[in-house]
Amino acid sequence: MTRSADAESPAAIEAGFHLKHKAGLVDFIDRHFKWFTLGPAALLLLFLTAYPLIDLFAMSVHTISFSQAKEIWTFTPLANLRDLFSDDIFAIALWNTLVFAVISVSVEMVLGLALAILVASVTAGKGLIRTILIVPILMPPVAIGSMWKLMFNLDFGVINQALMVVGLQPVDWLGSLSVALFSIIIVDIWHWTPFVFLILFAAAEGLPKEVIEAARIDGARNRDLVFKIIVPLMKPAIAVALLFRVILAFKVFDEVFLLTSGGPGTSTEVVSLHLYKVFFEENQIGYGALLSLAIIAATIAFLWVGQRAATAVGRR
Amino acid sequence: MKPRYFGRTLLGVAVGTFLATGQVLADESFLDVGKQAPITILINASPWYDGFENVVDLYQKQTGNKVNLEVTPFPGMLQKGRDAVRNPGASPYDLININSTWTIEFYSGGFLEPLKEIDPDFKLPDQVYALGDAHCWDAAKQFRTCKTGKLMGFPPNGNVELLYYRSDVFKQKGLKVPKTFDDVIANCKVLQNPPKSYGYLQRGEKGDSIYYDWMAYMLSYGASGVRDAENGDFTVTINSPQAKAALDKFLQVSHACAPSNAGTLSQGDLIQLIQTGKGMQAQAVVASFPNFDNPQKSAVVGKMDAAVLPLAKPDAKPGVAIGSWVFGIPKNASDAGKKGAIAFAKWFLTYKAQYAYAVGGGIPVRKDVFDSDLKQKSKFRWMQAYEDEIPYGKQVFGYAESAEVTNALGLRLNQALIGQLSSAQALNKAADDFYGIFKKHGRKTGRIAALPE
Repeated sequence: MTRSADAESPAAIEAGFHLKHKAGLVDFIDRHFKWFTLGPAALLLLFLTAYPLIDLFAMSVHTISFSQAKEIWTFTPLANLRDLFSDDIFAIALWNTLVFAVISVSVEMVLGLALAILVASVTAGKGLIRTILIVPILMPPVAIGSMWKLMFNLDFGVINQALMVVGLQPVDWLGSLSVALFSIIIVDIWHWTPFVFLILFAAAEGLPKEVIEAARIDGARNRDLVFKIIVPLMKPAIAVALLFRVILAFKVFDEVFLLTSGGPGTSTEVVSLHLYKVFFEENQIGYGALLSLAIIAATIAFLWVGQRAATAVGRR
Repeated sequence: MKPRYFGRTLLGVAVGTFLATGQVLADESFLDVGKQAPITILINASPWYDGFENVVDLYQKQTGNKVNLEVTPFPGMLQKGRDAVRNPGASPYDLININSTWTIEFYSGGFLEPLKEIDPDFKLPDQVYALGDAHCWDAAKQFRTCKTGKLMGFPPNGNVELLYYRSDVFKQKGLKVPKTFDDVIANCKVLQNPPKSYGYLQRGEKGDSIYYDWMAYMLSYGASGVRDAENGDFTVTINSPQAKAALDKFLQVSHACAPSNAGTLSQGDLIQLIQTGKGMQAQAVVASFPNFDNPQKSAVVGKMDAAVLPLAKPDAKPGVAIGSWVFGIPKNASDAGKKGAIAFAKWFLTYKAQYAYAVGGGIPVRKDVFDSDLKQKSKFRWMQAYEDEIPYGKQVFGYAESAEVTNALGLRLNQALIGQLSSAQALNKAADDFYGIFKKHGRKTGRIAALPE
């Protein structure tokens, strides 16, 4: 009775309410814990990703000028679009970028895969070989540009000196219309094949040994082993390396800027370099923003086409 | 010597030394600008930078005022300058060095403080070269002119191109210093022997390099980009018959005298070819001259002489395009920084500072320094040619669209040089580009008849 009376006392009711309320709060927190923990990070990520893109969209439909030390935004979506469609340099740059990306990434993937499989099969000195092979990706781009510019030099370059030693004519590696883009592709292959190798080497090292051993016991030749066992097993890693390389190849800037600045003529003009000139040299901020969006769209389209093509090939 | 005479002698020596030292100090004393707050200068790492660094060291020693130098490669200068002046807070720099072709963006955007608004008594000394008035801005006309405009900055140098030639080879082969581009070609017949030697070097790399070197031809042939920019007439004249004659001659010189990679020849390549003894004649900026006499880098020390740029024809004027810089003070610099920058400007533009600047490797901007004893010294044997050229100096493409216009021209000229376009096609395309740019920016523009292709 006393107990019951106590239980029904205002103090007990209040305590019960608090307990129940506390349990409800704990329960609420438990149920939404992932949002409390991930929420701030997700919001920050959204802000950092979405805000610049929204800003870019906003800029792309304006002409931005400066007066009295202040920005003046004028809404000119059609003018910027008109500029884009009449920009013949952009069309050339897009084509050059495509040629550059397709050739350089294809060669890098083949070489990187071959090197990865080869080094993974080595029994001794694997670490040393891997370290030596990845040196090019550790070098600063400016050093790479200066080094190759010297090597490609018509008069003093080591490559032409070597050609002349064997009785060949020197080649104008960076000044010839037909050769300049391929010279940059050579540098890119030298620079980025180690990156592909590194990703694929890690994947090759993680391949299930028993599957390969079983194939060997069953009498599989080396060729079959590579193309029917190893490469299919490495597909996810190959896809990741390919994705990274395509995106990076589309954004190529430093090698072109340092070696040819887009010349001679428009033979090595690429989209990032053109964007740099429009945005930074010519100070066309609005049109530059639209150009950036066009480049993003072109990269996504290229990746989408590449993915569809890869899927179609995979189905065969 | 007796002790008492020794004491007198010692005193006499001490007094004499004091007086002599005082005289030296008086001789070497520079303008007193008073104690100033430390300033930070955005400066480019161009060939004349060493001279500027030396003179800044001297300023610090002479005045006790601190100067921080933010040394930046040429390609980074524009963006660093923009970021500083567009900063809603205070500018990190009190003085920004701005390439003369970029100045209009800074002037028209209202980012720089007119110097008289900081110090109403400030003016450039009369001896300072006008250098095409790149440091003045007439906001109403949207044009750089000191006649009606405000003083927006001061020049740290007035870079122009000179003709350089190998005096030892000329003497040996009995050649004359070329007066015209035809003389250059005639000399090339003797001097061109690739890859051992090249008759005439001029920059052909796409962009600033080729358009700037072509200016020597364009101006001497009497061509221009637009009809009358100062008075608002932007009728495009870049495809005039005079411009075509200038481009044809440029191509003729390149084909007869230059290396096979003429279309990618940059300033660095050109200096390298001269330093290694391969360049027999060349046109290059005056600031590159110290590189030829640097014994650590050059095989032709004391062998390169300078002369006025070749002419279109004997009675033509030299085509002197000024590629100068302007020091401007950001509007958003601190008041103490603005005052410190003005103090530095006053000191820097004095005769003594400019003399020291030249001795240290800089290109002075005062005429009296060019008229001084320096001209007689071998190290400064380029000065006479500079003095002869500077009265013809012009600031070309002095309007807000200059970056777009020069990018377009730099491409079209390069396409002509490498054979992608004929000279007429290149100039007609450049005219199309110019017209589109001016029209887009709302200029009063028009076109002349296209060149027959």
